[in-house]
Amino acid sequence: MKTRLPDHGPLETPRFWRTLEERIETPEAQQAAHDEFLPGVVPTQDDDVHGLPVQDGFSRRDFFGLVGAAAALAATVACDRKGQGTIVPYTKRPVEIVPGVANFYASAFQEGRHVYPVLVKTREGRPIHIMGNDEHPGVKGKTSPRAMADVLRLYDPDRLRAPRLEGRTLGWMEAETQFHKALQTAKNAGKSLLLISGAVASPSRKALLANLRTALPTLEHLAIEPASGDAAEEAAKASFGQPVDIQPRLAKSGVILSLGADFLNGENPEALAAWGTKRRLKNAHEAFNRLWVLEGPLTLTGTNADQRLPVAPSRLGAVAFALAKELVAKGLPLPPGADLSAIAAGIPQGTDLPAKVWSNLVQDLRQAGRKAVVLCGAQMPAEAHQAAHLLNAMLGSEAVAMQPAEPLATVKDLEAAARGMAEGRYAALVLWDVNPAYTFPRATAWKDAVAKVPFRAWIGQVPDEAAAQCQLLLPENHWLESWDDFTTAGADVLQQPTIGTLYDTRQGEDVLLGAIKALGGQAPASYHAFLKERWQQSLPTGTSFEQALHDGLLKTESKATAPAFMGSSVAAATRRAAESNPEGLELVLFPGFATHDGRHANNSWLQETPDPITKMTWDNPVSVSVQDAQALGIQEGDLVRLSVDDTTLSLPAVIQPGQAKGVLTLALGYGRNTGSVAKGVGVNAFPLMGLDPASANVRKGVRLAKAGGKKELSRTQSHHRMEGRDLVRSLTLEEYADHPQGHHHGPELVSLYEDQAFPEHKWGMVIDLAACTGCSACVVACQSENNVPVVGPEQVARGREMHWIRIDRYYEGELENPKVVHQPMLCQHCDNAPCENVCPVNATNHSPEGLNQMAYNRCVGTRYCANNCPYKVRRFNFLEYTAYKTEPETLVNNPEVTVRPRGVMEKCSFCVQRINDVKIRAKGESRSILDGEITTACMAGCASDAIVFGDLKDPKSKVSQLVANSRAYRVLEEIGVKPAITYLADLKNPAVEGGRHAI
Amino acid sequence: MADAHKPLLDRATALLAGPFLLGQRALGLLFLPGKGTLPEAPPECATPRITVTPPEHAIKRRG
Amino acid sequence: MRSDAAIPANDIPEGLFELPLTEGRVTPGSLDDQVLSFPETKPPKQWYIGLAITLSALFTGLAFIGYTFFTGIGAWGNNSPVFWAFDIINFVFWVGIGHAGTLISAILFLFRKRWRNAIARYAEAMTIFAVMCAVIFPLIHVGRPWLAFWLFPYPNQRALWTNFRSPLLWDVFAVNTYFSVSAMFWYLGLIPDIASMRDRTTSKFRKLIYTALALGWRGAATHWQHYEKAYLLLAGLATGLVLSVHSVVSFDFATSVVPGWHMTIFPPYFVAGAIFAGFSMVVMVLVVVRETMQLKNLITMRHLDVMNKVILAMSCIMGYSYMMEGFTAWYSMNEYLHHSFMNIISGNYGWAGWLTISCNILIPQILWFKKARTSYFWMILVAIGVTIGMWFERFVIIVISLHQDYLPSAWRIYKPTMVDFGILLGTFGLFFTMVLIFARVLPVIATTEVKAILPGAQPSHHGDDHHV
Repeated sequence: MKTRLPDHGPLETPRFWRTLEERIETPEAQQAAHDEFLPGVVPTQDDDVHGLPVQDGFSRRDFFGLVGAAAALAATVACDRKGQGTIVPYTKRPVEIVPGVANFYASAFQEGRHVYPVLVKTREGRPIHIMGNDEHPGVKGKTSPRAMADVLRLYDPDRLRAPRLEGRTLGWMEAETQFHKALQTAKNAGKSLLLISGAVASPSRKALLANLRTALPTLEHLAIEPASGDAAEEAAKASFGQPVDIQPRLAKSGVILSLGADFLNGENPEALAAWGTKRRLKNAHEAFNRLWVLEGPLTLTGTNADQRLPVAPSRLGAVAFALAKELVAKGLPLPPGADLSAIAAGIPQGTDLPAKVWSNLVQDLRQAGRKAVVLCGAQMPAEAHQAAHLLNAMLGSEAVAMQPAEPLATVKDLEAAARGMAEGRYAALVLWDVNPAYTFPRATAWKDAVAKVPFRAWIGQVPDEAAAQCQLLLPENHWLESWDDFTTAGADVLQQPTIGTLYDTRQGEDVLLGAIKALGGQAPASYHAFLKERWQQSLPTGTSFEQALHDGLLKTESKATAPAFMGSSVAAATRRAAESNPEGLELVLFPGFATHDGRHANNSWLQETPDPITKMTWDNPVSVSVQDAQALGIQEGDLVRLSVDDTTLSLPAVIQPGQAKGVLTLALGYGRNTGSVAKGVGVNAFPLMGLDPASANVRKGVRLAKAGGKKELSRTQSHHRMEGRDLVRSLTLEEYADHPQGHHHGPELVSLYEDQAFPEHKWGMVIDLAACTGCSACVVACQSENNVPVVGPEQVARGREMHWIRIDRYYEGELENPKVVHQPMLCQHCDNAPCENVCPVNATNHSPEGLNQMAYNRCVGTRYCANNCPYKVRRFNFLEYTAYKTEPETLVNNPEVTVRPRGVMEKCSFCVQRINDVKIRAKGESRSILDGEITTACMAGCASDAIVFGDLKDPKSKVSQLVANSRAYRVLEEIGVKPAITYLADLKNPAVEGGRHAI
Repeated sequence: MADAHKPLLDRATALLAGPFLLGQRALGLLFLPGKGTLPEAPPECATPRITVTPPEHAIKRRG
Repeated sequence: MRSDAAIPANDIPEGLFELPLTEGRVTPGSLDDQVLSFPETKPPKQWYIGLAITLSALFTGLAFIGYTFFTGIGAWGNNSPVFWAFDIINFVFWVGIGHAGTLISAILFLFRKRWRNAIARYAEAMTIFAVMCAVIFPLIHVGRPWLAFWLFPYPNQRALWTNFRSPLLWDVFAVNTYFSVSAMFWYLGLIPDIASMRDRTTSKFRKLIYTALALGWRGAATHWQHYEKAYLLLAGLATGLVLSVHSVVSFDFATSVVPGWHMTIFPPYFVAGAIFAGFSMVVMVLVVVRETMQLKNLITMRHLDVMNKVILAMSCIMGYSYMMEGFTAWYSMNEYLHHSFMNIISGNYGWAGWLTISCNILIPQILWFKKARTSYFWMILVAIGVTIGMWFERFVIIVISLHQDYLPSAWRIYKPTMVDFGILLGTFGLFFTMVLIFARVLPVIATTEVKAILPGAQPSHHGDDHHV
């Protein structure tokens, strides 16, 4: 670089200068100073004059600019996140859909003969949450856990998305042609066709089937419900001469005697609601009922009994008839034609019923008279059912509703059908939403028989074991995409679609309508039209189909007369009851709490919902009584061999306190071979079912032996005793009247700090343990509302389940017949929360409304909060449970609740999104929030109304009043965390000597 | 003189920054398609988006 | 000034009379030759074998840490309710190991225990390595380690601040402070020795490094004056930290509501336990160093004897603490605390409780005998026992307390996975890799400090040969 010094001194030197040249003001320097900020200035031609460095057409500033731009661009490109999706507004907004606003549709869900009127919440067109229809007089806004979870089935990735023929995907046109051709051929040849479907609970479907039979006279139809209990069907036919649907009306009950009936398991929201109303006492002087339970397995109803007596199912009939005999002795008349001579008087042999308890029971039933009701479990032997029918008839019970029902085919009918198929009697087989290849007890015989039918079609959603045996697979709509109608007590209920079909699927009824048309019959264009026409013909004046659709129902007066009991049926039943003696071990096969008959096995929400009794998830171990386990040397988780006749299953065993000696129980609906979730979960118990419908679910002469080895149980609770801690308070009615708090004395809590002030609201919750039956509907409701992830059996076994609410179940007293208590446990939103002060990054803190809130984005996952939570209700995302989910699975997510990634702590938020929704709405309408307007998902899902949420600052709110109840207490109050959840002590009303009688 | 070696420094910076940024991008390309790489980045949708349509003839309760 | 007649040499009572701290004839020159020659010579074959083993362990650990980053904390055995397990056990364990060095170099320095001079350097190096092992765990154990920096209160545009009420945050400060002060203290002590090595080395490469590290030390009187002053100040600072860091670590537990954690005895109990574990590790390493590096004349049996006495004293304090835990459980009449204590001696993990008690309380009692204190067999047995015992003590505190707390419905058994063991192995690999490398590249004994305690190094009124 050249630098020229000037040959003359400056006249006036500048005050500030950057270079020597500038100081002495050479013209070059002046030029350079002038040029400095010209973009890309390159004084090439003046190089010698300026003495500036020669540059090759690229200035430093340009270089920097480009480097900077390149870096920024590269950084932007590198920051791109794949799969983030784009947010664009609807170009054409679908009618009815407003982004961010939930739409609700009334619809209905059917499971067997049970119909659940529901309200479906949709967001941006997607159904995301199901609750009961609040307009329905029976269910009053409540529904069953399985109904709530069934929204997940809509988005099951395993769903068949287009028709398929022999493994080849084809269009509906071709598929229907094939279908119609087969039916036409059969019709022309005069050969029989067999249609097997689920229970027909819909009048329109019944009419449609009648039309189909007209068009296709050789059609034979079987409606099967494999897990619903063939014995109940047989018994009803014997007692009443026709199939009858028997439902309890607990609102009218004073004394309830359950013979293995599990009516409090969540399946029956009406029963639960009535139960809750009877049990939520404000004071000790209110009317209270009494529940007697005689059962072999420990059922949820048994755990809620005031007095429970373990009786083997095979002896239930004898016990119930003996009771009838006692009641006759007490002056109750026998129905005409009834004969109890085969039954010996007094306590039946082979049962360990104490004489005093027996006389109390007889006394109770006699005294309650019409307010007494006897309910029999669907799986119990037919004679027990018949005894229950007799007892109800004798008592003239008001607390039971009997409705004639559509007949169901039993296992005997299905066996006959299989024989027919094997003999080549059928030209075609159509399976509609049923899976006999899995549920029929003789699977190989079924398979061989089916193979003899030339044309086999399957209509359903997820290809199953039966689909594998069929040629033509027709994909069916989910019920949330379908039309239907049902008759329920108090209202005719409509099922309407809440979303357009996701895939190229059709409703089964539409397929059959097409068949009617193809066979030359008359049929409207769609099942919707068919149904609407039928409704409009019978609509009373002043009502409209549109209004019925809006409400989801049309209220009706129940007109059906209860079928008359036939006394003549008793004699045969008593003989069978008297002869029925336990032979060795006795196995009870009952529908799985989560899977029912296997139809829900592909639903991961249900698979991961713990069984309310065993707390097992993702498995069906055989439950062994304490005495038998001891005798056989079986321990929890031991693999055992369970044999009935020539069928042997190898499965793990759990020891079940309270189960009658000599009784084993096993859930149906597991061990499926198809479905990405269902496959390989548990064992299939259907092969153990008997072929005699009268006792299909209770098998005698069962052999059980240790097989060697152990299985790690995916159980959510492994410690079952309360260790003498004051966690669940339970009082008898006597104790409640005398000392409402029992022997518990609240500790005096002193704090050095001032209590937090809550200026506007203070959210709180009250859980009434007397009303809570442990049915776990709240667990499912919460899972659906809050996008709670499913973790799978291995993770559950490791203690990493994610449920925000769990039901703690404790046993107390002797193992053979313990007292059982249930306690819903969720974040207690402590005012003095131990989790909050230990979080180093302030990710969890207290809201001014008393909520213990989580900022997921801020959480780094130190897990300190969870360690310091005395209730252990915080859940940690140990692995990535959500991010790899794709459509359709993600469509079920509630957009109002953040989906949590790996490494983040989460927990119950008191459904803060619902609180804010109501707050915003109230603000928009310039009013204050009404009491009861905000419902948490668990509260809305609780059929017995055991959970009440509200504002503790409002002294008139329901929750404030309940907090003042004399049964109120807080769990772990003594450690001073000030939980916002108050529990009301459980109440039991055992028949004690000199004690109060039920009213 | 001080002015003379600055471009050198700049080039060195660019030399270092370029590969760094490119490398970052390359690593991103390398790891993104697989499962369980970038812990917070969900993978791309394997299936085409499902079109959600409103139900026909149904009547909503509220919303 | 001094009166020679006032304290006759032979009248000095036993115990006040300090024995020579080195054995044999050690002169400043021979000391330099002996200690400072290690970096100049080729390591023996055994050193390479050792390094191969420790590096394998280190890389195993790194692989498992990588796997954890890839899959999440679910790779470990942690569950609900045992949300913390090996991660925090290892953290507390290594922080504990890191206590001996600073105690020896700072507290004993302030107390003018001059026997410390020969072993302070190695012990302090071990402190730093142990704390390095420890800090790995808070970083990797969080659910989203890529956000672990949020634990530091730094100004940010989101105006988010850390929660100063959280003991975990106190931990961040305590451990960071401890690590930085220990490292500074250690480095400061190294400066004169590094300068000596700079002057001795013939390799150009090493000269370059040592020159940089020696910070221009020339041994001038002003250098020494500043050095001594800085050393004293840092020693004072470090002394407080020795007591504070493990007290703060114990607050993680003591301030919680978990029965078995919520104990006022925890801070002193943790500090004692840390010194206990740290001294055992130092004894173990020193025995090996003394034998393999021919330093018997500098690290004498007397050093080991004194160290073992400290171990014995700490063992007794631990025994007292364990008994106090039991007493508190009984005396408080708190059912949760009572259950938690009974779990230690008879629950699902009762074996771990008894292993802890045996290793920490029963076995070290052998050190009451001088024969055991000066026997390699017994001191190594005790040291290994204490290391195992102290690891299990943290297992007892963390896992046993957590696995059964308040609500029995939430109780659950904890089972570690391969990954848990792999990462623990990895930290041992890291620790001993550092120990091995340190032995070959830096002066393992503070030569300048030992020179000060050589016979005749201090001015004495009795002539050249003995000291007071």
